[in-house]
Amino acid sequence: MHVHDLNPRNTIIAVLVLVIVILIGFFTMHQPLMTYKLDMKQSLEMLNKPDACFYPWQLVDVLNKKDKNVVLIDIRNKFMYGQGHIPGAENISAYDLTKEENIERLEAFKEKGLRVVLYGDDQLQANAPWMLFRQVGFDNVKILLGGYDYYLLHKADLMATKTDKGYLKGIPRYNFAKVASKSGITTINTKSRSKKPVIIRRKKKAAVASGGC
Amino acid sequence: MNRNYIFLTVLMLLLAGGTLFLQKADDREQIDPATLLWETIQPTRYVSTDDVAKWIIQKDPSLELVDVRPAAEFAKFSLPKAINVPLDSLVNESSMDYFGIPGMNVVFISNDGIKADEAWVLTKRLGFNSIYVMKGGLNHWIETIIQPKVPAEEAPHKAFETYAFRKGAQLYFTGAKVETTKAKKVKVMVRRKKKVAVASGGC
Repeated sequence: MHVHDLNPRNTIIAVLVLVIVILIGFFTMHQPLMTYKLDMKQSLEMLNKPDACFYPWQLVDVLNKKDKNVVLIDIRNKFMYGQGHIPGAENISAYDLTKEENIERLEAFKEKGLRVVLYGDDQLQANAPWMLFRQVGFDNVKILLGGYDYYLLHKADLMATKTDKGYLKGIPRYNFAKVASKSGITTINTKSRSKKPVIIRRKKKAAVASGGC
Repeated sequence: MNRNYIFLTVLMLLLAGGTLFLQKADDREQIDPATLLWETIQPTRYVSTDDVAKWIIQKDPSLELVDVRPAAEFAKFSLPKAINVPLDSLVNESSMDYFGIPGMNVVFISNDGIKADEAWVLTKRLGFNSIYVMKGGLNHWIETIIQPKVPAEEAPHKAFETYAFRKGAQLYFTGAKVETTKAKKVKVMVRRKKKVAVASGGC
């Protein structure tokens, strides 16, 4: 005689409760704020897409209000933002980027078809957040090449930066092998340590040892 | 046979069948995007060129330098004991062996830190810890370690200590020590005072 045989109805109720609990758990499952839309291979390919970047000279149209589909986001902290920022940029510091409300705003921007340009002091600061937003499917997010520092130096004539290669990254600026070799170093150092003979001039004594005791 | 048991068995089988429809998880556990975003904004993930130089000189056994430049550039110049994992092949399964070794600190190196940073983000997404980015990359390496600049006179004492370290590191990495021994061979010419021709005067 098993315990279930005594009251089959109880068993059915217990099973139903179990199923309901599982279903409730399933539907209220924690939805992560963001999920990856690009896999690893796609994320890697994304990095080489030219339209993922925003060039400093493209800012000209934004500052002239010709291009109204661009939202500039300054990811530096409030203090730095207060010290100076690109006109029209809004401040969402890097630490606030993970906040739900800001992610929702990014989603709203995307729905409206606006392009979002992230910038930090230098390109490196905005690089990782930019990559991440791209990976989770914000394909309207771009990174300002050169960052704020470069903008500040060239804000008088941004169009002229079209031909400048100084802000582009990923390029070796030196011939490493040559500069870091022994011969490369000697050309730098020998200026001060040249092989010129050291000449010590003694003080000349008065020409004539005139006089005496 | 009891009806309840049959019912329970069928239920279990149905639930088990449901697992077939679960999405196949990726080969590797990936961290949550929000966590990754949080990790990317921590400044502790960067190391300076001075740190890396110090660790190389001290022969730190936990240091693992991963150079993400293309193989051709790597062949021309690389830091001592660096391994080459070009960014293009970073997400290949074969490259994964380099990461996640217990006790090893991986430092990514590229020309200026951007590519290294990208490698960092991708590797971090795969859940690897103890990974760092050499800030400024090899361009900055040249500017600080290979060609250190003398700090300005009013610079703080710390700047001079750093300069002294870099000067030493420069000798270590370039083998410029040889030059200093050569410098010793320089002849010191001493011009003696010409004696006055006539010993005029006297007591």
